[in-house]
Amino acid sequence: MDQLKSEIARLFAAKERRRVRLAAQPFPEKVRAVVQMQRMAAPILRARGKKARVWNV
Amino acid sequence: MQRTLQILNELEQNGVMSRYAIGGAMGATFYIEPLLTFDLDIFVLLPQTRGGLLTLAGLYDALRAKGYVEEDECILIEGIPVQFLPAYNELLEEALQEARDTMYEGTPTRVLRAEHLAAICVQTGRDKDRQRARLLYEQAALDLDYLAGVLARHGLDGKWKEWTS
Repeated sequence: MDQLKSEIARLFAAKERRRVRLAAQPFPEKVRAVVQMQRMAAPILRARGKKARVWNV
Repeated sequence: MQRTLQILNELEQNGVMSRYAIGGAMGATFYIEPLLTFDLDIFVLLPQTRGGLLTLAGLYDALRAKGYVEEDECILIEGIPVQFLPAYNELLEEALQEARDTMYEGTPTRVLRAEHLAAICVQTGRDKDRQRARLLYEQAALDLDYLAGVLARHGLDGKWKEWTS
């Protein structure tokens, strides 16, 4: 149980480090990441009948 | 994005709008991890009309004249749906006046300060604003003294404490 808790704590810490790393990226890199997320999310949203235009940047 | 910002700069230089700054999810993304959004929120100070009315009509007319088309509540500028939001209260006016100048791949632009983005989230008050305020608090290296001033001036300090405690 303790081993599992420490493993989960390690995963959460890694996740937090990744978020900090992402936040520190230059703005244009982040915009490219947003567009990548749009590409992934758009088909799901469209399947639900919602409009989703992926930016043409 | 760069071309979109160039068009916004042209509109500002031509006096169609007095001042603009990026806000919303893309404004927050400037300071924190990238957030999924499908539109670019642009806060604008508009030139005063004769009747004192805040209207986006002149801005939309200028964009239509350049060949850009409306799409729902946005206008599509160089491949990006842009939503213009006029500064309709004192917090937004202050946020626009104090927005920070920056460059996007060689093009000058402006982004609302992280402290104002957080205050706007508190004022708007939706679930997603609460989540965004939390991310700004955790990741954006906020100037807490400056933020305290903004929140106090606009009567938002109580709600901020509630959201971040």
